[in-house]
Formats: sequence, structure tokens, C-alpha cells
Amino acid sequence: MKHESVETNAGLLIILTLAVISVGGLVEIVPLFYIDDTIEEVDGVRPYTPLEQRGRDIFVREGCYTCHSQMVRPFRDEMLRYGHYSLAAESKYDHPFQWGSKRTGPDLARVGGKYSNEWQVQHLIDPQSLVPESIMPGYPWLATTPLDYSDVAARMRALKRVGVPYSITEEEYEANVEKFGEQHARMFDINNAEEMLIEQAQAENFDGDSSFISEMDAMVAYLQVLGTMVDFSEYDDGHFAEFR
Amino acid sequence: MSQAATTAGSVPATSVASTEQYNYAIVKRFAIAAVLWGVFGMAAGVWIASQLAFPFLNFDIAQITFGRFRPVHTTAVIFGFGGNALFATSYYVVQRTCQTRLYGDSLASFTFYGWNLALILGVITYTMGITQGREYAEFNWQIDLIILVVWVVYFWIYLQTLLRRTQPHIYVANWFFMSFILATALLHIFNNLEVPVGIFHSHSYPLFSGVQDAMRQWWYGHNAVGFFLTAAFLGMMYYFVPKQAGRPIYSYKLSIIHFWALVFLYMWVGAHHLHWTALPDWVSTLAATFSILLLLPSWGGMINGIMTLSGAWDKLRTDPIMLFLITALSFYGMSTFEGPMMSLKSVNALSHYTDWTVGHVHSGALGWVAMITFGSLYHLIPRLWGVNLYSLKLVYVHFFLATIGIVLYITAMWVAGIGQGLMLRAFDQYGNLAYTFTESVVFLHRPYVVRAIGGGFFLAGMLIMAWNIAMTVRMGIKSEAREREEARAAEARTA
Amino acid sequence: MAAAWEWITDLGNSKMFALVLFMSTFIGIVIYLFAKPSRARKFETYRYIPLEEDDSHLEPTARRDKTESEKQ
Repeated sequence: MKHESVETNAGLLIILTLAVISVGGLVEIVPLFYIDDTIEEVDGVRPYTPLEQRGRDIFVREGCYTCHSQMVRPFRDEMLRYGHYSLAAESKYDHPFQWGSKRTGPDLARVGGKYSNEWQVQHLIDPQSLVPESIMPGYPWLATTPLDYSDVAARMRALKRVGVPYSITEEEYEANVEKFGEQHARMFDINNAEEMLIEQAQAENFDGDSSFISEMDAMVAYLQVLGTMVDFSEYDDGHFAEFR
Repeated sequence: MSQAATTAGSVPATSVASTEQYNYAIVKRFAIAAVLWGVFGMAAGVWIASQLAFPFLNFDIAQITFGRFRPVHTTAVIFGFGGNALFATSYYVVQRTCQTRLYGDSLASFTFYGWNLALILGVITYTMGITQGREYAEFNWQIDLIILVVWVVYFWIYLQTLLRRTQPHIYVANWFFMSFILATALLHIFNNLEVPVGIFHSHSYPLFSGVQDAMRQWWYGHNAVGFFLTAAFLGMMYYFVPKQAGRPIYSYKLSIIHFWALVFLYMWVGAHHLHWTALPDWVSTLAATFSILLLLPSWGGMINGIMTLSGAWDKLRTDPIMLFLITALSFYGMSTFEGPMMSLKSVNALSHYTDWTVGHVHSGALGWVAMITFGSLYHLIPRLWGVNLYSLKLVYVHFFLATIGIVLYITAMWVAGIGQGLMLRAFDQYGNLAYTFTESVVFLHRPYVVRAIGGGFFLAGMLIMAWNIAMTVRMGIKSEAREREEARAAEARTA
Repeated sequence: MAAAWEWITDLGNSKMFALVLFMSTFIGIVIYLFAKPSRARKFETYRYIPLEEDDSHLEPTARRDKTESEKQ
């Protein structure tokens, strides 16, 4: 083909350009969907409960990802500072992923359980009261704003459509009981989403204020589950290395 | 001041005929919008930079916290300033190099209102906390749809204009603009595949999760840099550098090589944003390899632009607009060298997640994208209104403020990024971590102050530009009005 | 043939494959551009497109002088 016909023919130029720009994306992205070892098999990873998912929505809403990553890299310093490096499987229910691109604050992939609920609440309301050098903004409105959970079932249905195994039918529920245990499977039932959210918020009372369910309840519930789903003591040191 | 304006920036006036031959009205609107978004977006940038240096500036007000305002900054400068400037220049360049009027006057107006409406909605919704949480693609799904329609119309206008050209050859600047339109369409659609919570609900959940979503996002993110912020601005470069220099581009053959190599290579490199993550290793190694290769076309393009001036280097002494264009190319060369270096996995281990990345982005965004845009707008705007630039001296002032701003910004970010990277990986003699994360934050304070000051310099330059442009346009409108009056008077005399 | 296909579909080789693909296309374009002197010369004439625009209507008119005089 003559290059001349390319640069004198707009249609041809467009088709060739499209072809050329498609190659790179296709070769790199498409295989990720069908190669088995893109995401390793690991026990414990489960969808978020309704309350945790609402907390995650608030995490996204406030733009936490602009300063906090959720991805521990396999380096000695990061593993000492944050814990075991992150696995692909650990974010397989994350829509969207929140790996981040900048650590103005520390990584949060394994922040769950590191601090008490009281610490998290106080830190979110006024970070400098606990870490004077911190440059994090305060989020006092989380503690005073009631959590809007009226749409939680709709949100879970949308998540179900993109592949998160929340259940609607009896069959799906049973499958979840099999896979995640009854305690969790109850939480993943869209039919009872609101009740389950209220139940968890009241049982664990994350923000220390039982008079109402605040956005803080959801946020802390989410932070406290981050990175805690996989029990790494069950695996050998080198177990996950082959997937890298 | 008007005395200075008659020297290097001497610009012939447009007559009534040209407004009929070409659609300049749409170019004017986009050019003004670009300047306004530039002022707003850069002010937002200085604001969030100040919040990092002095966190009390968040004032515990949800709408203006860093997390919600950072997308306001990135959207306003990339899509507001950059996007409007690209619409303006691409509509101008395609008409001039095809020697035909832009297709579809009302469609073109639609792209103007649609694009800017989407951006304004975006900025408002971010402060309300409505976001997808995907960097540089935070628009919620309804706004995504508006953008999609605008973009399809933009493509259609561009294609129809190309097809109506009277010049047989399609000039290379238009190739770059076309590849930018095509690639942006692909990126926008694929990165925003999402399932809304409800028709009237603002939130949606992305189709993919975790590792696939990450790959998709950074394929998008880096190609937004590659096609939106590079290929398109190269289109600008291939027209405005020769035009302002009054000399043809150094080598047309090189520009063809530049084009094909660049559009091919860019699509491969996005995964270098995900080195050492849970992304499979082969992908990031592939991305790193192509990132290195990308240096070749990038520098080919830079050399092509700068050598256009070979034999006429004195223009750099006499023409501040040329100074902007050539400095932009130098920064382009610098950041396209820094980029491949940072994509090496060993360097990336240190640089990633630190301010080095932020500095790198800004050496490209301020040094290359903004500088080439300033130069092009200074060339374009007087011609659109048929007058000389209000003041060339102010262009010099702008140039030096911008340059000082960039230098402060990127050196501060080098210090911050490399410094923090080294602190976080330092061990004491017993093999324990030498510094806590908080200690590295304390270290960042001074570089953050310097960065905010650098941003302030750059914003000051932008404000001076806005003033200069406003006065130029005012002159243009006045002389147009007088011309109409005189024409009417002449008509009355003959009648 | 089957072996070749196996090699291509093995992702470990995708880097190599892409490199070969890119290099050959790249070299092809370079050869095309430079091999025939007449063609090379013709390409270089396109450099002048932005400068050959119909600028007759852009000649300085009285209007600019008026803008100047207005300021005095």
C-alpha cells in the first residue's frame, strides 16, 4: 500500500490509526481476563457487607485515594511498615479498585485492625489531635451526618450486575453459605440489605454513638476490614511468589 | 506598550472576507474559554498545593477538602484549559491547512456548549462528592454520556472538514489531531464502562474490579497523557512553530516517522504505573520496555520542532512567543527522558507513590502542555481579532514568571520525592525502619511550601496572560465596531 | 505452523513479538520514506502547507493603524 494514499485519504488514515493504537491495549489487557494466574486462589476474600460497602462509597466520595494507596509492594520496608504485600485476589470485589497512585499519607491496604475504632473516629474528626505533624484534613461531618442507606439494596444490585456475588435467590444464598459461611452469607443477601446494615452498625457501633447510624460507622467499618480477609499465617512464606 | 507590539509579534489584521471563508467565531470562543479555565484550574492547583503545605486551609469544609478539590484542579487544567485550547487550535488548524471552512456551524457550537457544560457540571459534582474515584475520569456516568456525545460530534466535524479540503495532502498536524480524537474516544468509552445504581442515581459501579480495573484505568490514564496531552499538542506544535517562525518544519519525513511511532508505542506503556503491584509481572515488564522505546519518537519530534528554527535562532532573542514554543519543546524533551527513566522498575520502586511522579507530571503539564498552549494562543488570538497583541512586554513577563514557577515546582518535587523515597526505605543498624511515615511528612513541609510558591508564580503569569488577552480582544472588538460604522457611513455617502 | 502459533500465543513471548512487529513496521516506513529520492523530495514539499495558506486577506490594513492611533 502506498503511504501516499494514506495521507490523502482521511478514511484510510483513520482506520490505520485505529489499528495501530489498538494493538498495545489488546495485547496487554485482554489476557488479564483469561489467564488463570492473574488472580491467585486464596481463602478468606469475601465481598463487603452492606455497611462496609457504604463505607467504601464514602471513601471514594471523599477522594481518599488521592493521598492513600491500597497496595503494599513486595519490598522489605513496605512489608515491615504495612504488612504482607497485596494480592490481586484481595481487591477482586473492589469496584472501583483503589490502589491509588500517590502516598501523601501511608498505605491503607492493611490498616484494618491496626488501630481501635475510637482511634479511627478521633483521627477522622481531627487528625492533628492524634498525629500533630499530620497534614490530613479533618472529616468531622462524617460523625454528624446520618448514613443514607435507603439505596443500599440498589447499590448491591448494581454491584451484583458487575460480578459481586450478592444473593437474591435462595439458590444464590445457599451458594454463598457454602462459600463464605452463614454469618457472612446473611450479610450478602440483597433482600435484607437494610436490616443487615442496621444490624451490623448496632452490633459493632463503630463510632461509639449508638443513637444513630452515621457515615462514620460505615467509614470505620470499611477501614477496619481492609486487608484483614486473608489469614497469611496459613500460607508459607514463598507461597504467593509464583504468582508475581 | 503598543509600540513594542509592532515588532516581533506583528500581526496582520483579518478582513471581513476571512470571517466568511473560515469559521473563526468558534475558535474565538474556545480560545477565550481556554484562558478562563486556565486561570481557574491553576488557581485551584495553587489552592490544593497550599492545603498540603498548610492543612488548616481545609477548614473542615467538605466541599473544599483536598480529596474533593484535587479532581477539580486536574479536570479544570487538563480538560478545561487543555481541552478548550485543543478545540480552538484544532478547529483553526484544520480550516487553515485544508483551506476550507469548518463543517457544521451549529454542530461546532454544540461542541463548545456541550464540552463546557460537562466540565462545569463535573466541577460542581466533585465538590458535592459525586465521583467515580478514577483518576482523570472522575466524571459520573451522566456527564460521561454528555462527553461521549460531544466527542462523537467533534469527530464528525473534523472528518467532514477533512473530506471537504481543497488541498490534496492532509498536513501532519491534522494526523495528530485525528489520532487524539480517535484515541480519546476509545479511552473514554472503555474506561467508563460502568453500571449505574439507577437511572436517576448519580453513582455507578465500574464493570471491572481489582487488577483488571487497575490495568484499564492506567491504560486510560497514561494514554490520556499520550494522546490528549501529547499527540494533540504535537498537532499544535506542527502548525504553530513553523507559522510563528515563518519557516517550514525541519523535516516532513521525520514527522511521519514521529507520528506512526508515537501512536503505536504510547498504547503499550500504561502499565508502568502499576510496577510492583499485584499486576502480573509480564505486563509491567512489557510496559517498561515500550516506555524506553518511546524515547525515540519523542525526541525525534522534539528535534524536528526545535531544528525548525535552525538558521534563525535570533528569533529567540526578539520574539517572546517563539521563546514559549521552543521552551515548551525543551521541556517536552526533558520530561520524555525523565518518563522512561522512571518507568524502569528499579527507579520506579523509589519514585512511585512519591512526589517525584507529581513533579514529572508537572514538568510535562506546565513545561510542555501549558507553554506550547501559551505560545499558540499568543499567536492565534491577535489573528482572530485582527489586531496586534496588546503588549509583547507582558508576554516576556509571563514567560519569566512561568519559567521560574516551573523550576521551583519541579526541583521542590524532586527533593520531596527522592527524599521521601529514600527515607521510607532507610534502615538503621539493627535492621529496623529508620523513619516513621510521619517523619517523612514532616520532611515534606518545606518542599511543599516551595511548590506552592512555584505554582503561585505560574498562576501569576497566567493572570498576566489573561489581562493581555482581554485587552487585545477589547482592541479587536473596538476596531471591528469602528470598521462597521465606517462602512455604514461610506454606504450612506454613496447613497 | 503450529509451533509458530504456539510461540506467538505464549504471553512470555509477547514482548519479543511486539518488538519484532514494531521494528519491522518502523524500518518499513523509514525505507519507504527515504528509498526513492523523488518521493523523499515530494514529501518535503508538504512542509510548506502551513506557509502557503491563502493569507492575502491577512495583509496589514488600515485597521491596525487605527488601533494604534486610538491609543494616543
